[in-house]
Amino acid sequence: MKDVVRLGSGSGFWGDAIDPAEESLRKGKLDYLCMDYLAELTMALLQRMKMKNPEAGYIPDLIDHMRTLLPLARKSGTRIICNGGGVNPRAAGEQLRILADELGLTGLRIAVVEGDDMVERIDELVDAGEPLLNMETGEGSFGELRERVVAANVYTDSSGIRQALAEGADVVVTGRVSDNALYVGPIMHEFGWSQDAAHADLIGSAITAGHIVECASACSGGMSSCFAEMPQMGMVGFPIVEFSRDGTFVVTKPEDTGGKVNGFTVKEHLVYEIADPANYIMPDGIADFTTLTLEDLGNDRVRISGVRGKGVPEQLKLVIGYQDGWIGEGMVMFPWPRAYERAVKARQTLTERFERLGLQADDILFNFVGLDTLHGPATKDTDIPDLNEIGLRVAAKTGSRSEADKIRRACTQLWIMGPGGSAFGTPSKPRPVVAVWPTLIDHAAVTQSVTLLEV
Amino acid sequence: MSRILADIAYVRSGDKGDTATIGVIARTPEDYPRIKRSVTEEKVRDLFGDWVKGRITIYEMDNIESVVVYMEAALGGGATRTLRLDQTGKALGNAILRLPVDRDNV
Repeated sequence: MKDVVRLGSGSGFWGDAIDPAEESLRKGKLDYLCMDYLAELTMALLQRMKMKNPEAGYIPDLIDHMRTLLPLARKSGTRIICNGGGVNPRAAGEQLRILADELGLTGLRIAVVEGDDMVERIDELVDAGEPLLNMETGEGSFGELRERVVAANVYTDSSGIRQALAEGADVVVTGRVSDNALYVGPIMHEFGWSQDAAHADLIGSAITAGHIVECASACSGGMSSCFAEMPQMGMVGFPIVEFSRDGTFVVTKPEDTGGKVNGFTVKEHLVYEIADPANYIMPDGIADFTTLTLEDLGNDRVRISGVRGKGVPEQLKLVIGYQDGWIGEGMVMFPWPRAYERAVKARQTLTERFERLGLQADDILFNFVGLDTLHGPATKDTDIPDLNEIGLRVAAKTGSRSEADKIRRACTQLWIMGPGGSAFGTPSKPRPVVAVWPTLIDHAAVTQSVTLLEV
Repeated sequence: MSRILADIAYVRSGDKGDTATIGVIARTPEDYPRIKRSVTEEKVRDLFGDWVKGRITIYEMDNIESVVVYMEAALGGGATRTLRLDQTGKALGNAILRLPVDRDNV
């Protein structure tokens, strides 16, 4: 039995580069390659793709990625775990089976993990008395939105992944399993841990490891405040976790790759997108980040120890996506001299045009690009110097596509009505809004299933 | 000389639904108590004005000399429905670096 498991992070989101995952497979001596593809918006996009075509709904890039990765993984004896199944893991599994057959990977076992998709079960949940309160706003009026639901997925724990691995899967493809479980699953499987009090600290540590590396290069120099000190970010190495049976672990990256792994880059990601650091709640358990010790070992190696865990939460997060109108937006750039004055005049003209077009909007936001687009009211009030250039951005939320299109039309009308020297890029089309309703449901209401496909 | 947080801290920010989170990391251990004094709920609320409509909570992480600023109803409805260009609040964290450093000596 192994005392150290090596897990590589192969993807941080749908859109991430695939070459670093290849490099980790070639150089990393990995036991597992773990790949996250999903986000709230991604689930809604995939659900829409599935509505148009029942065979779609998984990450479109998945098959191309696996064409590259599967032969490498077989060579290095690495098992791949990914949530690229999106809202249709079964179809993804079937396509992967066909691909593996084409590649001649005889004997390859692909496991499909399902059970997170609740879109067909919303009525059943409501009838069973699940209140589905909005966990952010406390609102309880979900009933009115039922007709507009496009997706509903539970962030599930690692039990399906563990079962798949126990059944001998070489590739595990899941739906909305939590990003974190992609790492916790194989660690628990390798060391034979179960979700009980005796393993709470160890699982807490596995959760912490998953949190640090699940956004791939975000802990090896990506998104860094010290960006100027990060070498060759275009060739960045994705992180690797060396997880020990005693619950300590080292974060590192393959040799001769760009970026850095040091105490600072790991801290940068430890504090990312968390609430109470003493209670980091994941479906497999609760981790306490405030007890850990971080040791920079040099040579792109950071050791973490001392994580405490607090057991398994009783509820799981269910994110329901529903249709919520449209957004129209536009942007115009203005040149020196008197760039700011031109932008202010254009804002006035647009406001008049919206009125003349009878725009019905729930909300309209104007910002000056180059001045206050990113920090809004936190922007420091300074005298505006004679800027080289400035942009005006407008966005509005509307009930219908035709209303949202009035934003595009009004911005286009500025081509001639607007101040001299105005420059326009390609106008953007209105986009539909899928709002999310996050809620909690009972752990027991969710059952995962595993289907094994053999090549 | 009066200093601002940009002189002593680094940040990373992101989103969870309509909540914006900002991790503030001390550049040196000596800077950490200054950050704890300088980043308060009141100062953060003043800074962001009507862009933050909900509760603000500040969590301390003494072990890694960092604080987490958790701001609810702070992204104009969340990534999928906000009208802001920065849909996931990635740039929002940098705004906190404008806060003045509390002048009290440690």
